[in-house]
Amino acid sequence: MPLWFVRGLRRGVVTTRYPARPDPSASALPTPPAFRPDALTGEIADALVATCPSRALARDGDALLFDAGACTTCGRCRDLAPAAVAASGEFELAGTSRTALCKRIPLAGEVRR
Amino acid sequence: MIALILFAIAAGGWAAAALTGLLTTTAGGAVMRAGCGLSVLGGAAVLSGGVAALVSTDSAVVSPGGSVVVGTLQVQATSLSGVFAVLLGVVAIGIGLYLPRSGKEPSGGTAVYLCAYNLALLASLAVLAAGGVVTFLVAWESMALLCYALILHRPRSREVASGAFWFLALSEAGFVLIVAAFAILATQTHTMDLGLIAARAHLVPGAWRDAAYLLALAGFGFKAGLVPLHVWLPVAHPVAPADGSAFLSGMITKLGVYGIALFAFRLLPGGPAWTGVVTMAIGALTAAIGILYALGERDIKRFLAFSTIENVGIIVTALGAAMTFLAYGQRALWAFLLLAGLYHALNHGCYKTLLFLEAGVTEHAAGTRDMDRLGGLARMMPRAGVIAFVGTLGIAALPPLNGFVSEWLIFQGLFQGFRTGSHLVAILIVLAAGILGLTGGLAIYAFVRGYGIPYLGMPRTRQAAAASERGQPVAGPALLATACVALAVGAPVLLVGLARAVRTATGVALRPVLLPGKLTVIPAHLNFSGFSPTYLAAFLVAITVVPVLIYLAGRPRAGSVVVPVWDGGMLAFRPRMQYSAMTFSAPTRVTFDALYRPSVSVQRASDDPAGRSGPVHYETAATPVFERYLYRPVIRAVEWLADFVRPLQSGDVNLYLLYVFVAVLVAYLIAAL
Amino acid sequence: MTTEQAAAAELRGAIARQFGRSLHIRTLDTGSCAACEQEIRMLAAPHYDLNRLGFFFTPAPRHADLLLVTGPMLRAFAVAAHKTYDAMPGPKLVVATGACALGGVYEPDSFSYGSVDAVLPVDVWIPGCPPSPLALLQGLLVAVDRLAEKVPRLSFVAGGPS
Repeated sequence: MPLWFVRGLRRGVVTTRYPARPDPSASALPTPPAFRPDALTGEIADALVATCPSRALARDGDALLFDAGACTTCGRCRDLAPAAVAASGEFELAGTSRTALCKRIPLAGEVRR
Repeated sequence: MIALILFAIAAGGWAAAALTGLLTTTAGGAVMRAGCGLSVLGGAAVLSGGVAALVSTDSAVVSPGGSVVVGTLQVQATSLSGVFAVLLGVVAIGIGLYLPRSGKEPSGGTAVYLCAYNLALLASLAVLAAGGVVTFLVAWESMALLCYALILHRPRSREVASGAFWFLALSEAGFVLIVAAFAILATQTHTMDLGLIAARAHLVPGAWRDAAYLLALAGFGFKAGLVPLHVWLPVAHPVAPADGSAFLSGMITKLGVYGIALFAFRLLPGGPAWTGVVTMAIGALTAAIGILYALGERDIKRFLAFSTIENVGIIVTALGAAMTFLAYGQRALWAFLLLAGLYHALNHGCYKTLLFLEAGVTEHAAGTRDMDRLGGLARMMPRAGVIAFVGTLGIAALPPLNGFVSEWLIFQGLFQGFRTGSHLVAILIVLAAGILGLTGGLAIYAFVRGYGIPYLGMPRTRQAAAASERGQPVAGPALLATACVALAVGAPVLLVGLARAVRTATGVALRPVLLPGKLTVIPAHLNFSGFSPTYLAAFLVAITVVPVLIYLAGRPRAGSVVVPVWDGGMLAFRPRMQYSAMTFSAPTRVTFDALYRPSVSVQRASDDPAGRSGPVHYETAATPVFERYLYRPVIRAVEWLADFVRPLQSGDVNLYLLYVFVAVLVAYLIAAL
Repeated sequence: MTTEQAAAAELRGAIARQFGRSLHIRTLDTGSCAACEQEIRMLAAPHYDLNRLGFFFTPAPRHADLLLVTGPMLRAFAVAAHKTYDAMPGPKLVVATGACALGGVYEPDSFSYGSVDAVLPVDVWIPGCPPSPLALLQGLLVAVDRLAEKVPRLSFVAGGPS
């Protein structure tokens, strides 16, 4: 029994300093996608909508609707179109409004119209 | 003298009440109420007589005549008996106010019952006022027989007959031992007068005096309920009517304690230390075993009966420790523990009577005595709930009530065991205090169960939900509850009276040390501890009132919402899903299963391990250790002996003539020698 | 500031005063796969240690200030959820956590409502599947107004303002 005590003393404090300081393990967390509107064509958008298993993506005419609340960070959208979708690195996603989690991503080519 | 006059008035009142009781069937309810009123007046007279006896010195023995049958009647009012007379008065008043049930016409059994009850009160008074051996014994035996009549009431059933029989059998066994004890004392001191016996006690040789004391301890222990002589209590109390059980527990067991105190403090004071230690040990074991068995009971009256055993154990522990202290020359502690024991006897009489009367109210209102069939009675019967709560607080020895004060006094006396010179005895006294501590903790646990399961929560059956206290007597129990509170808050006044009684009984002037201030109690020696029951009561009231006032002044203005009780989110919460009495006490029964030796029988419809195969019948019972290992062998030995001796009564006339011839021959031989 | 914004600011201030230093959390699993529960359990472990922030778990809703709900609110659970919420004394907060609770994974159908706010009024939403303990900590701190929420300013556009 004293062994773990000695081991613990040698290891030092393991408690994270979050939120005062960022936690180093945060970089390894799975996070929702971030989209590149330049690479997001209509076909890619439709394919992404079809592949998302939790209905987080929807096509609304000239925009892609992304519901960050419904995202399960499975990564299928990123595997399908790595050029258009990257990991956002954001895990601090709590919000007081459900609609604030629904984002509108403009598709490629539509901005110019 | 005043005391004796008041006792005589009370006796007259009770005799009249008994007569009125006999007339009840013919005359009806009003006569019954008149009889109960006479009983209450008798109780008041005894109460005043007891107080008069308490505060005065012992009066002389008075012989108001006698008869050939009972010998010379000798009465005396001593201060020791005065204390118990006060208790008798309080109990009589409480039960007398409880007896008439409005709206119920008395039945035939009631007439016999009332007559027997009032005569039993008279006999108890005679026991307390007896100044001579023969008077005491006659009064004792008549009290036992009248209580037997009290327990037997209609409708007669096997349990009733069995319970009453156990009471009578053990009463008679005790009586034999008491007669033996008195016989030893009377022959050794050549007198039948109790005062003279006390004066000549130093003449009795040591072996005889110890024998007499042990015989008295056992004989009175049968009546008081010391383990293992207690087995009549749990079988007789449930079958007697509620007021009968109240009388048995409240007064009759205290008569056993009075007998022990009579021998220990008046007739044979100053015995060797080992008698005190033995008494103390028996008392401590009785207390622990009593409360442990109480925790396994579902029937309210059996539960209260075992609690009586526990409290008698506490009183006897105090008396035994007092005797031990005297043997080591600690006279102040001797007197102090006697005072504490008497105070506890008074307190216990009050709240045990109260609880039994409330058990009677519950039984009549809800139709059952089984705790697991009750629940929520505090809402259905609010007055009964409050009164039973006061009684429960008292008997669980919680501040600020009287049980706490008397147990505190006993503990403080026991903790001063170091003042005896002997290490062994000091350790034994501390052990006894430790056992009493265990008992106190278990008593709180038991009475949380005893009050919480029937009175709090939700009703577990339709009968309990339909309970109503309309038509139930409330004056008697309410008076006793007030007495409990008064005994607590006015403890200093009562202690002054008890100190005077103890000074007359022991010759030790305790008052200056006991109550130096007006309201603080000091246990025998100034350098040990002290506390004030009155200040404590005031303090407890203050610390409850002040937060309530602060809350009322500063509470948030938002309205409150009433929502159902949190039941774990269950869809359909049934009241039967609440704690039951047996599950509540399960931890104790598991810990002490070496004492209970439970027998468990489980029957399932099939051995399907999923358990969904049908109803499961589960039965568990505690092994009746004393009945099986002590009483059954004794009973079988007596039966064997009777069988062995039976051939003597063959019915053959020739054999009987041979007996006569042999007896005459032996008589000639003895006369010739 | 409009009156609405002033009222909202006052409410946030009141919440911060009431719960900012000590908050008792009651977790409620309305039918989840228990991955969210695992992450919530890790909050009490030494690495994340929510006690240092003044948060405590309590099993009794009577003692709870905040209800942490996971799972897609199965219809069979609705009664228990109502009872738990009603048993909490006010002021109280409800935090829905996990993609199921936010309405993402299951459509409303015969066995589930699909999202927690069909039955309980939700104050804070914490996305994730499951949300990491760090995300849960951020969510709880947002609920007691000790951290400002980041999500309204996020656009999930790579290379743009994050």
